Amino acid sequence: MVSYSKLSPAAAEKLRAIVGDGRFQFGETVREEYSHDEMPIYGRFLPEAVCLVESTEEVSAILKLCHEENVPVTVRGAGTGLVGGCVPIAGGVVLSTMRMNKILSYDMNNLVVHTQPGVRLCDLAADALAHGLMYPPDPGEKTATVGGNVSTNAGGMRAVKYGVTRDYVLAMTVVLPDGQIMKLGKTVCKTSSGYSLLHLMIGSEGTLGVITELTLKLVPKPRMDVSLILPFRDIATAIASVPAIKLANLDPQSIEFMERDIVDSSAAFTGNAVFPTVVNGREAGAYILVTLIGDSEAELTAKMDRLGEVAEKTGAYDTLVVWTDGLKKDVWAARSAFLTVIEAETKLLDEMDVVVPVDRIAEFLVYTHDEAERQGVYVRSFGHAGDGNLHIYCCSNDLEEAEFKRRVKKLMDACYAKCTEFEGQVSGEHSIGHAKKEYLRESVGETAYGLMGAIKQVFDPKGILNPGKVCHDAEGGVEHA
Amino acid sequence: MLNILVCVKQVPDVNLVKIDPVTGSLIRAGVPAILNPLDANALEAAVRTKEKYGGSVTVITMGPDQAAEALRECLAAGADRAVLLSDRAFANADTLATSYVIVTAAKLLGSFDLIFCGKESLDGATGQMASQLAERFDASQLSSVCTVLEVDEDKRTVTAERELALGVETARALLPCLMTVEKTNYRPRIPNLKSWKASRTAAIEMFTSDTIPGLDRAQIGDPGSPTKVPRTYPPEKGPGGEMIREGSAAKDVEALLARLADKL
Amino acid sequence: MNKYEYKDMWVYIEHSGGKILPVSLELCCEARKLCDAAGETLCAVVVGELHRSEIERILACGVEKLIRVSGTGLERFSVDAYTELFTQLCRKYRPSAVLVGGTIDGRDFAPRFACRLPTGCTSDATQLVYDPKTGDIEFIEPAVGGKMMAVITVPVMRPQVGTIRPGTFKYLPAGARPCEVIDERFDFPEEKIRTEVLDFLPDEADESLNIADAEYIVCVGNGLKGADTLGRYRELAALLGGKLGCTRPVFDRGILPYKLVIGQSGVVVKPRIYLAFGVSGAVNHVTGITDSDVIVAVNRDPEAAIFGYCTYGIVGDMDEVCDAMIAQLKAKV
Repeated sequence: MVSYSKLSPAAAEKLRAIVGDGRFQFGETVREEYSHDEMPIYGRFLPEAVCLVESTEEVSAILKLCHEENVPVTVRGAGTGLVGGCVPIAGGVVLSTMRMNKILSYDMNNLVVHTQPGVRLCDLAADALAHGLMYPPDPGEKTATVGGNVSTNAGGMRAVKYGVTRDYVLAMTVVLPDGQIMKLGKTVCKTSSGYSLLHLMIGSEGTLGVITELTLKLVPKPRMDVSLILPFRDIATAIASVPAIKLANLDPQSIEFMERDIVDSSAAFTGNAVFPTVVNGREAGAYILVTLIGDSEAELTAKMDRLGEVAEKTGAYDTLVVWTDGLKKDVWAARSAFLTVIEAETKLLDEMDVVVPVDRIAEFLVYTHDEAERQGVYVRSFGHAGDGNLHIYCCSNDLEEAEFKRRVKKLMDACYAKCTEFEGQVSGEHSIGHAKKEYLRESVGETAYGLMGAIKQVFDPKGILNPGKVCHDAEGGVEHA
Repeated sequence: MLNILVCVKQVPDVNLVKIDPVTGSLIRAGVPAILNPLDANALEAAVRTKEKYGGSVTVITMGPDQAAEALRECLAAGADRAVLLSDRAFANADTLATSYVIVTAAKLLGSFDLIFCGKESLDGATGQMASQLAERFDASQLSSVCTVLEVDEDKRTVTAERELALGVETARALLPCLMTVEKTNYRPRIPNLKSWKASRTAAIEMFTSDTIPGLDRAQIGDPGSPTKVPRTYPPEKGPGGEMIREGSAAKDVEALLARLADKL
Repeated sequence: MNKYEYKDMWVYIEHSGGKILPVSLELCCEARKLCDAAGETLCAVVVGELHRSEIERILACGVEKLIRVSGTGLERFSVDAYTELFTQLCRKYRPSAVLVGGTIDGRDFAPRFACRLPTGCTSDATQLVYDPKTGDIEFIEPAVGGKMMAVITVPVMRPQVGTIRPGTFKYLPAGARPCEVIDERFDFPEEKIRTEVLDFLPDEADESLNIADAEYIVCVGNGLKGADTLGRYRELAALLGGKLGCTRPVFDRGILPYKLVIGQSGVVVKPRIYLAFGVSGAVNHVTGITDSDVIVAVNRDPEAAIFGYCTYGIVGDMDEVCDAMIAQLKAKV
């Protein structure tokens, strides 16, 4: 177990000198928002200081100092995480990348963009589109930073076609825990050149180094797209259609599922009742939302025909065509609002982000609903049917917090065990943070978990970077009421 | 069997129109043309009325050839027949000239019991078309309709609720009746694959100034428009206020609240 | 048509429950200035009974001619009767202009009698300017969602008909003048009125939708990311003891109801503090807020037109600034 030093007033003054007064918070001036992410149920831990960094050099200087002083450093993007990944549980310094928010340049010949890590996903996506290009990773939380996306290897809706964030990171600049600046990767698409430290860094949740610049791969913007809504009687029939949809050779950009409950909540909350609830006289219990892309209307029409046939065979109540820009905006806005809606209508909230084989999704959801009912909490779920990544939110509005945590623990123990039994993954895109460490350990086994710890030790022998996360144990922080 | 007409317009998505800061002119490039959003609500009201009482819905528009796309959107969402009035001679028409062309052409298609319109267009936003169409159809007129309650084909009446400033009025009008529709209760439906596909290849009836018999050329386009637009200009920039630039949202707000202290 | 034969500018006096609507008096005051510029006579047209005290309010605006219409079929407003009435009156008296309040009724019948005459009709002008060279009124109005100003004229036909939104012009009576009163009889056959009112249900008083007199207003504009981000603005409005409002595009996006739309085509407001978040500053919005004591604008775009009209401006992310404001206001309490 490592132990850390408190940030001394003298060291704090040195930090202040590095970033300047306007970008430094210390003691009293540290804002409460830095003590938690979007899942406050995992506890609030206030940092001793916050640095709003603007350059690689500043990050390097801060890390060098903190490394010498033995003060922990936790990197934070937009703070939209759900597993406490950016929460400074051992205290120390929070390093916010929100001001490293510049898109640096495009290389139109190699289809890459150079960007700082604090650029918000929605801004990068829009800017790339304006250049006729698309950044394929499309996590639901559009206000997250790309740096955060890389650190969690975020996936998102288009993973079924394009893969995940990892597949789009070509190079990066990282600052190691002792302040050394290192460049990893090159602007090329192939490498067979030794261990990939680049890929080790991706998804490492800021425990191995601090990403200060990124080179990301882009693709040409698809010429045309269309989304289709398939309403079904219930979640089991909806999910059962997914293998058939994938087999139909449509190369869909995304295949999402959503249960009726979350659609109703979203409609009530946003006033945007875009998903029809009664279709051809029948109540829809679940929906599959598919996005297809193509070069021409003829190509899309042919794909839609095939999807329509699959829909009919698999029991969809209808195949609804979201063709106009206005409708697309409404439909995807409703989909993107789900988490916000759940957060708004729920007092106590916890979540799972498991991935299971696509043909086990329905079974897993039914199991989860049954277990949740036994524990007296309710569940809202939606997610990526195309790749088996489920977002399951455990909610309660009437339990005491301690009781809620106790019951959710039981529920999660059961669900993660079931997930392991199904050969699934603990997290598809939200990561481990400090909230899911035990489940990771059980899932990967002692040997793998030990190797992860050993890698952390090589990069960060003093354990000052984002302590207590993924596979690292730490204490020293004080939970903040 | 009701014969229903919906008058629609294709408009630039004005929310996306930008002004060139240097020349002050409109930047229209890349701004998509869309079905006027409130017209989609009118269409939905028309289609639901048809579904309840039987009949057919014809949708009509005046505009360039590309406006066919807006008509196809209407066909996908339940219209049965689409008519496009397109001719360079129709250009630069104000509401008086436009209503003249639409009604003259519509009368060739049959006699309509109900005419539905959106409250106003996103671009012109005069809200005058409905009244002038009603005048030329010699129809009764109910504006701001939030719910179509009942159509009585025997008595030739329609009963509807109107959303007025201070409450909801229930009114009955004789057919033919023109109604403008509020959006709240008439969210446009998402078409299914079958009707969407049918809409993509459906025939759109086209009329030009030559193929509308009896059209008085003095009443169309620019010559037929009593209102003119001699000039446009960018809105004057205001004198500008005090910009607060303290470096962060929190500090900006702190400075702002200090200035507002005596007003809070 | 020789337009110079058409004289007098008319204002239609709309009244309800024995009270003249403010917009009609606003129009009298504005038309007074036009008449002074044009050397024409200002004439008010009243349909039905009005108490002497209300008539006095019209006269105080400098009306020089008053046409009082009585007859059957006019007791209650109907598009059918009023369209025919104004068609006949215009043919008989040949006014050069007819201004009508842009209320629901006014916007229903004014374009219709203009069509029947026929003549040109404009709506929603925010400025009226008399051009002595042409003898025409320039109806200046925001166009393309308020991104441009368009000058509309009716250069050949008469009368020049215009509907004007309530609150566009100020009620500043110029003082009474000698006034000629004309009593006009007009009977419209009841059986030709094709609409009838069966019922009226006043809205339940939802105070959150009544923003006209709010002391503090938090207004969200098209910069709003989505309905899901609205919560903080409601919270801020509540903290200030004020109301939430929006601009037209937010209504168009289906996020908030029409009654919360601030601006020329919605509600005209005059709060102590008006906080505009993500509002671009299109003219038709700005016309509805100019009487605010203090206007605070928050926008990502430093070039946004709203900064031209604000008292204080902050360039930044609207959500961030709102959150900071909530946090600091809470800390004060």
